[in-house]
Amino acid sequence: MTNKKNRRPAALVTRVSITAGIATSLLPVMPVQAQLTPTEINDLRNTIGNRIETMTILGGDYGVGGGSYSSSAKGDNANINTTKFGGSGEVGAPQPLGDLDIGWQPRVQGSMGYLTANNKFQSGLLDDDTSKYKTFAIQFGGGARFWLNDHFSIAPTVMGMYGHTENNFTAGNTFSQDNLTEAKQLGLIDWSVDTWTIRPSLNLQYQYTWHRVIFTLSSEPTYFYTKSFDSSSANLNVEGNAEAWDNKLDVDAPLGVELFGHELRTGGYFSRTDLYGDLEDGLATSYVYEAHGRLVLDFLNQLWKVQWIGLGGSYLWGNDFHGWSVGADVTFRF
Amino acid sequence: MKSCRKLIAANVIKRASFNLFPAVAALMLTGCWTPPNANVQPGGEPRLIQSGISVESIRERAMVQTIDASQRILNLKLSDGTPITCKVSQQVVGVDKIQAGDKIKVTLVEELAVYVLKDGILPGAAGTEKVILFIARVQSVDPSYRLLTLQYLNGQTEVFKTGLNAKLLEMQPGDAVVLQSAEAKAIHIEN
Repeated sequence: MTNKKNRRPAALVTRVSITAGIATSLLPVMPVQAQLTPTEINDLRNTIGNRIETMTILGGDYGVGGGSYSSSAKGDNANINTTKFGGSGEVGAPQPLGDLDIGWQPRVQGSMGYLTANNKFQSGLLDDDTSKYKTFAIQFGGGARFWLNDHFSIAPTVMGMYGHTENNFTAGNTFSQDNLTEAKQLGLIDWSVDTWTIRPSLNLQYQYTWHRVIFTLSSEPTYFYTKSFDSSSANLNVEGNAEAWDNKLDVDAPLGVELFGHELRTGGYFSRTDLYGDLEDGLATSYVYEAHGRLVLDFLNQLWKVQWIGLGGSYLWGNDFHGWSVGADVTFRF
Repeated sequence: MKSCRKLIAANVIKRASFNLFPAVAALMLTGCWTPPNANVQPGGEPRLIQSGISVESIRERAMVQTIDASQRILNLKLSDGTPITCKVSQQVVGVDKIQAGDKIKVTLVEELAVYVLKDGILPGAAGTEKVILFIARVQSVDPSYRLLTLQYLNGQTEVFKTGLNAKLLEMQPGDAVVLQSAEAKAIHIEN
């Protein structure tokens, strides 16, 4: 089984990087809201709802790896940091499914993450204002992987996620200070909200070994439905749908050289994740590309369930952003 | 507005088609899944694929049958009933304290040979035939991570990590495995 495999650290990192865009677009709604019509205010609340949904997914989804990213989009500085622990994988070797020529394995997925975003405004009505976000999310679920032949498998899964997001706004100029109370009453700033998310997904995977090099082609459409169940403001409610479709080619190649008694391996992946619904709105991009490379030591069958330990790095880009991510790469196989 | 929706729908379908391509391509190659099976006749002519393949068997439970402390030779009966004779490594101290009847946990470094056999026989030169006494068959091979899964004659399986020099690309399920030698690298007396 592959634990996914610490799977898709790259796709996740990609999304993490994009969170900077969220932070920059979240706050401009506050200072002008007093001049808005009720319809426009409602639209702004919906926008905030999209952002909360997106941050919860970025902060808690197992498919998104931890990392940090900074952006100066729209002339403002935003920094996002995500610390995360989690992963996925199949348990044990495939077993026959009844009398069918199909093998199956239970699959588990889980994640726990903490996201912080700091947005310092440097222009316009919010000049010198600061908005901070904190999201904690925990997610767990599973399903099964079905092997239709020795190379091709499908894995339907369902996950549930709890998320808690807080906003803290600091007014740095006179205009913001004058409008602070009303904006707070409208649920546009200084809020906190608890949400739950349901996440069905279907992973399709084709794996082929050429000599000693493993090629894995995968495609995974995922649906997210998020709804709030508690909020600091009666005016702030979250309910939304989002979809993501990740397509990836991963290459895993041994180098034939040992270091500290373990064989060196290299590889990486190239992926494109298409975003739809609230994720597309929240991140202000419809797709994310990721190129990931890694250099690791093979520990499989040598150290508990560890498949490899090493370093990995990604370069990410979308409609109007790009970023880097570097970190430890640890994969388990149960 | 209606035409705009149609345009959006067309774009979504276009993107979905692009995304579905890998899955559709994979589905076209779908055949049947087959569980790992060691009890098959491997392809190719009967031959020795490789000998002297060093593997480590971690902490086997065994009972001491006899011991020659001066020669550092142990006769063991493994938990699955397999008898095995092994040399005790020089790094193991206190060999003289081991007695027949002791239950131990032992880490064995083994040397294996892998054959393609037909009915357990290896044809030799000038039409001669040699019976090979094998202890297991290959159940599966992972050449990328150098994992060799063996199924012993009693049905038990064990996964070994082989060295870089193992010719795993030439091995396949059903190949016969012979234990050439074994050395006890570590011993822990349980009783």
